[in-house]
Amino acid sequence: MARQFTASKASPVSWWLLAITMAIVAGVSQSALTQIVICLSALVAILIFREEAPWSRSVKFYLFLAGFVVIARVLFRIVFNIQNPEDTTALDLPGFSVNLGFGPPVELFGAVGIQALTGGATDGLRLAAIILSIGMASSLANPRTLLKSTPSALYEIASAISVAINLAPQMISSLQRVQKARSLRGRSKGLGSMAGTVIPVLEDAIDSSLSLAASMDSRGFGRRGDLSKSLVLGARLSSLIAVAFLSIGSFALLVGQTQVLGWALIAVGIVASFATIRINSKSQIRTRFEPVKLQFFDAVLFALSAALLTAAILGWFA
Amino acid sequence: MIALRDVSFGYAGTERPALSRVNLEFLPGEFSLVCGATGSGKSTLLRILNGLAPHFTGGSLSGSLIVDGQDVTGSKPHELASQVGFVNQQPESSFVSDTVKQELVYGMEQLGFTREKMADSLKQVAKLLEIEPLLDRPLSWLSGGQQQRVAIASALAAGQRILLLDEPTSALDPEAAAEIVGVLKSLAHEHGITVILVEHRIERVIELVDSVVIVANDGLVTKGGYEQFENYHLVPPVIGLSTELSWNPITVSVPEARSNWAKNPKSWTPLVNEHLSETVAMEVGNLCVSYDDLEAVSDVSFQVHTGEVVALMGKNGSGKSSVLWAIQGGGKRTSGSVKTQFGDPKSLSADERLCVLTLVPQKAADLLFLNSLADELSESDKFAQLTESGTSKIFESLTGRLDPKIHPRDLSAGQQLALVLALQLIKGAGILLLDEPTRGLDYAAKKSLAKQIRALRKEGKSVLVASHDVEFVALVADRVLEIAGGKLVSDKSATAALGVGSAHPTQISQITGEPGLLTLSQVEGASR
Repeated sequence: MARQFTASKASPVSWWLLAITMAIVAGVSQSALTQIVICLSALVAILIFREEAPWSRSVKFYLFLAGFVVIARVLFRIVFNIQNPEDTTALDLPGFSVNLGFGPPVELFGAVGIQALTGGATDGLRLAAIILSIGMASSLANPRTLLKSTPSALYEIASAISVAINLAPQMISSLQRVQKARSLRGRSKGLGSMAGTVIPVLEDAIDSSLSLAASMDSRGFGRRGDLSKSLVLGARLSSLIAVAFLSIGSFALLVGQTQVLGWALIAVGIVASFATIRINSKSQIRTRFEPVKLQFFDAVLFALSAALLTAAILGWFA
Repeated sequence: MIALRDVSFGYAGTERPALSRVNLEFLPGEFSLVCGATGSGKSTLLRILNGLAPHFTGGSLSGSLIVDGQDVTGSKPHELASQVGFVNQQPESSFVSDTVKQELVYGMEQLGFTREKMADSLKQVAKLLEIEPLLDRPLSWLSGGQQQRVAIASALAAGQRILLLDEPTSALDPEAAAEIVGVLKSLAHEHGITVILVEHRIERVIELVDSVVIVANDGLVTKGGYEQFENYHLVPPVIGLSTELSWNPITVSVPEARSNWAKNPKSWTPLVNEHLSETVAMEVGNLCVSYDDLEAVSDVSFQVHTGEVVALMGKNGSGKSSVLWAIQGGGKRTSGSVKTQFGDPKSLSADERLCVLTLVPQKAADLLFLNSLADELSESDKFAQLTESGTSKIFESLTGRLDPKIHPRDLSAGQQLALVLALQLIKGAGILLLDEPTRGLDYAAKKSLAKQIRALRKEGKSVLVASHDVEFVALVADRVLEIAGGKLVSDKSATAALGVGSAHPTQISQITGEPGLLTLSQVEGASR
């Protein structure tokens, strides 16, 4: 605990914001170098800021998933090889032609070009970068405090998301326990044991999410104070519109073809968010003991996210 | 203060109601114990009191719930949050925050308290539960007992006058459990809070509570007399002794029982293990286990003889599980050796180990993976290359015959444990390692497990059982090892370790003061 800079120096919101920005950049970028830089920075961030906590145990899982995606993508390109006469051959494998009985025959293997390989690797790396960015946030930020620090306007949606985020680390730790227990029965692994592993793991994950939800509810979470039913419904609707329009709008901007539409959608989203906040502030139902103070570290993460996002919108990564 | 009027409750898809026509009333400052066999609906009863049932559990409720004189039937848990506090079995699964302080104010934030009011209540409740020095600590640094104190404090922080607790001591060792029960008593009797507690281990609380609510398997609920216990097989030793010796009225307090016994002591038989042989079945030498910087087990050495049951006792986190897994060979072992007839289990394959020794983990159900009892049993026969139904023979000898079509997840915790024992013993392992087998078992299931273990001992099996359940250990163990901070601190006979003047005397030895008398079954004329 002697280390000074740990993940909890920043709010979980900052970590998730940075992660989502990194994922967006990975999504729009065509260059393998950018993807590799994102993968590495996510890993470095995890290594530097990681704390000893249950939710940080999932790193291995994300790493495995990322590696698997890259390898699978490259293998796919080698097996289902589309010949390109302009490409320089890197791997000259004997080709097969499989007749499926319908449509044209499927060509397997054959001479694999450099472009095909690097293309496959870049595709895989893009997914890996997205996976590792999300992995970074979920192993650095406590999913439960994320729930606490969400503005009350987005409470309902945030609670669903938080419970979902909480599932992954919980499932990974149950999986480890069940597999260890299962090894006690001897027997080599088979399909039957797969099903047998899934059930207790899911049972655990659902139990733990429900018990968290029950505990939050028992302590007053979800209270709507003296707001009328129709106002509550209105707040929910407008928060939904806000989230949907803001995300579709930013997507339109990032894709880059419909700038006007993108800004228009974002404008509607902003209006809807203000409406939500307005409705919710009509009744003071929740208070805060310690107001969220944004730390210096948060500011750094925010600035980083903003810079990355601007660069992505301006098309620097394309 | 809080009352149920004519309440019935049933889950969808079941014919039998979980609770039928319940009428109960709890007064301010009443400390009440709710008990019943596993699966009897006692947790449901507790959850009805704060709206978690039916809003979280599903099912249908009739009748009314009254809190502070108001009919609040149908209220959701968050609508009752300012009046009723709820504490779960596992505090860490209900924590929402990082630090103790944040956790304590969470409820008040939801209820819209002002900052000054929060600071005030925070100070009060921290003082009440004696957790002031912990306020700035991360929740994950706390011990189990401290976590439970924090959970109780956060359930009361907003000034709730009713506190519901669902088996708050089930994951705690005896010392921590006794402390928590003491805290609950003072909350009720000194601060006037209504405390309603669901608890399996009745002996931990029976002396301190004001009233007892018994939930029977047929959904009938009664409040009051201790005589009820006998009918529902819920017998802590003090009540067992009291009924066996026909003391009238029935005694629940140890000091009272002590004076009764002193006036009229009975004769009793000492414990002898006639199956114990001189042969050493397992020799553990200088076992060490360390994870990163933490030394979980250091330099533990002991022997287990053939036909001997050895208990491994110690607080939570003292290294009991690590010892068992290191012996079995599937867990981490930094150094040390385990000698058995067939060599060190660590050097054997997982299948070969099953012929030598077997480990039943804390959550035994993790080992079950097929869809019916019959499938599990026949798969096990196939694995052991038996043509006869050998596994079901073991299983039936442990628990009797059951419907083969039943899904293993629908078995009771005790039956699941028996099934796992049968499956794990089919390859003829002579050494059995059990990790906290009594967690979640009621008295009847515990007694049946004790009987199973004694039957296995009679067959010449050696058993090493990790447990902090004193009464259970007294029923099965010949010898008790105590482990603290990863080190073996004592190795004594059961009578020395659990008898008069020891660190964990059983209830019967506390009452009788007779060295060597640990359990009710030793008392002359006792039917059990």
